[in-house]
Amino acid sequence: MIKINLISSNLSERIRYFSIVDIYDNLKVVFYVFLLIIIFKTKEMKNIKYLTILSLGLILLTSCPPSKFTPDSVNIRFEHYAGGNSTINISGNSCLIEDTLLYTNDAGQLYSVQNLDYIITDINLTDEEGTVLQELRDIHYVTISNLSSLNLSISSILNRGEYRNIEFTFGLDSTKNISNLYVNEEFHTRMFWPEMMGGGYHYMKIEGRFDNNSFYNTHTGGTMGVDYSFKKSFPINITTIEDGTIHEVVIAMDLNNWYKNPNTISLTTDGIMGNMQRQMELKENGIENVFDVY
Amino acid sequence: MIKKGLLLIIVLGLLSCQKEGCTDENALNYNPDAQINNGSCDYNVTTPYVLNIPFAFPDMLIPENNPMTVEGVLLGDKLFHEPLLSGNNEMACNSCHNRDFSFSDLQQQSTGIDGINGDRNASTIINAGWSSSFNWDGSVTTLEDQAFEPVTNPIEMNETWINVENKLNANTEYKQLFKNAFNIDYIDSIHVVMAIAQFERSLISSNSKFDRFYRGEETLTPSELNGYAIFNSEKGDCFHCRGTQLFMDNLFHNNGLDPEPFTDLGHSAITGNSSDDGKFKTPTLRNIEVSAPYMHDGRFFTLEQVIDHYDMGGHYSSTIDPNMKKVGIGLQLTNQEKADLVAFLKTLTDSNFISGK
Repeated sequence: MIKINLISSNLSERIRYFSIVDIYDNLKVVFYVFLLIIIFKTKEMKNIKYLTILSLGLILLTSCPPSKFTPDSVNIRFEHYAGGNSTINISGNSCLIEDTLLYTNDAGQLYSVQNLDYIITDINLTDEEGTVLQELRDIHYVTISNLSSLNLSISSILNRGEYRNIEFTFGLDSTKNISNLYVNEEFHTRMFWPEMMGGGYHYMKIEGRFDNNSFYNTHTGGTMGVDYSFKKSFPINITTIEDGTIHEVVIAMDLNNWYKNPNTISLTTDGIMGNMQRQMELKENGIENVFDVY
Repeated sequence: MIKKGLLLIIVLGLLSCQKEGCTDENALNYNPDAQINNGSCDYNVTTPYVLNIPFAFPDMLIPENNPMTVEGVLLGDKLFHEPLLSGNNEMACNSCHNRDFSFSDLQQQSTGIDGINGDRNASTIINAGWSSSFNWDGSVTTLEDQAFEPVTNPIEMNETWINVENKLNANTEYKQLFKNAFNIDYIDSIHVVMAIAQFERSLISSNSKFDRFYRGEETLTPSELNGYAIFNSEKGDCFHCRGTQLFMDNLFHNNGLDPEPFTDLGHSAITGNSSDDGKFKTPTLRNIEVSAPYMHDGRFFTLEQVIDHYDMGGHYSSTIDPNMKKVGIGLQLTNQEKADLVAFLKTLTDSNFISGK
């Protein structure tokens, strides 16, 4: 009776592991049965020999069972900053962060963040050459309106080994960015991107105030069907011995840096969803230094 | 010794001879004299109501304890139109939620049985099975819960649920209908709202001119197409709250109707959070042509007035939605663009739904 455990953590992942201790459990049963047979049949002293051997065998088995191998888990935490160390204050109960003009971008504008929503896809662990060793998550929606989305738990997925690199795609690439593909997902309505502007979904929405009482909407997505998503890759150091450890990874976003390098972007009250130049500038800035992983 | 034992066993066996039958109290053929269940229990069987999920709509989440049945929907339909639910036996749900107006009221604010008006416009009931909350302020999260309040509200139907139960239990037709739908012998308020909720979930609209266009079955006129383009671009910017086939977003927004102070706090009365002041649920735009007047207080009587409101950018307040980014600036739509937008909105009318086919 060897148990096979199938764990599915995502749309496309399964792992198996053999529970070796179960072999020993079964052998124990066999030994007990033999012991019982011999006890009932014992009439002469000579069977005491066999009895002793069996008992010793049992004691050995029960006193040093082999350890069970449990694949390790990964917990990804999404953190958000605006300029160096200042963490965005997310008030516990409300779906909005504190709407105060706290942050300054490179263009010298004071801005606040009321809404922050984005989609990260194809989160994978790879080797140093970029070969995918373990897929972690196909698609994940981060929103400060739902604080539980800031933690992504992927249980019992890492087999024994060393994982040196993590990669993810910001936004949805052209294979995923299709209208109604995620019709049953939580983000389907909120991140809807009109068909006539390219279809699919918003990659990101940052919304809030700037310069007192003006509002900006930094909305990125597949403008006119162009794929503005991008892949980022970071070194990490995860070693698993399959003992059930949870490995914590932080994916950090610095919101200021969307507007910074190589392109200085000013906030305006104009929509940018149809602005291909702006989308390209934001993509370049996003690749440059918006994300960090540790 | 053994013979005596066997004799004892036989005697005990005879004495314990028990009657077989259906021992389940909930079954239709429950036999109180039976002690051994012989598997003959017969239960009321309802007919599942088949919901057709329209193209590009999400799945509808139906509560486990109130599955949709043909008998339930039929009963709910009858109850929705039942004046016995009101204190003067003259007003039913459909008095203020009239199918001709997409289950809303022509009046700005509806009038109860005692001639008193409320503060808010009667909401439409259309594709309600996809909504995650009800009433303009989101005070309830299920259709079942929503149906309790209008019956007892003094300025609406002004009745008590005990009276409603008594009236319905005195009616043999209702007794049979409730037996068919829920297998109950006493009609209680909970099952009344369950039936009404089932009926409301069956009210699905997905066959407007726009739907047929979206499915590639029909074309739009140039004016309607231009309106669609304005709606779905940042020119009109309507899609941020009304994108997808649902034309609503299950969220609460302050769309700049008023500056502060607000007379109606809306969603914050439910959440207790002042950042929700002046925020109201986004109703669907489907059938909007027939469900005037508009907004939580019914202040706009025509679609043109609604568009003029959005065109001017709305009134600034501390909780105005960041998507109203043209506040103080305006959308600067031309008269033609406004007319095109109205033409597009009219393509969302589903005449099958309104006529009940």
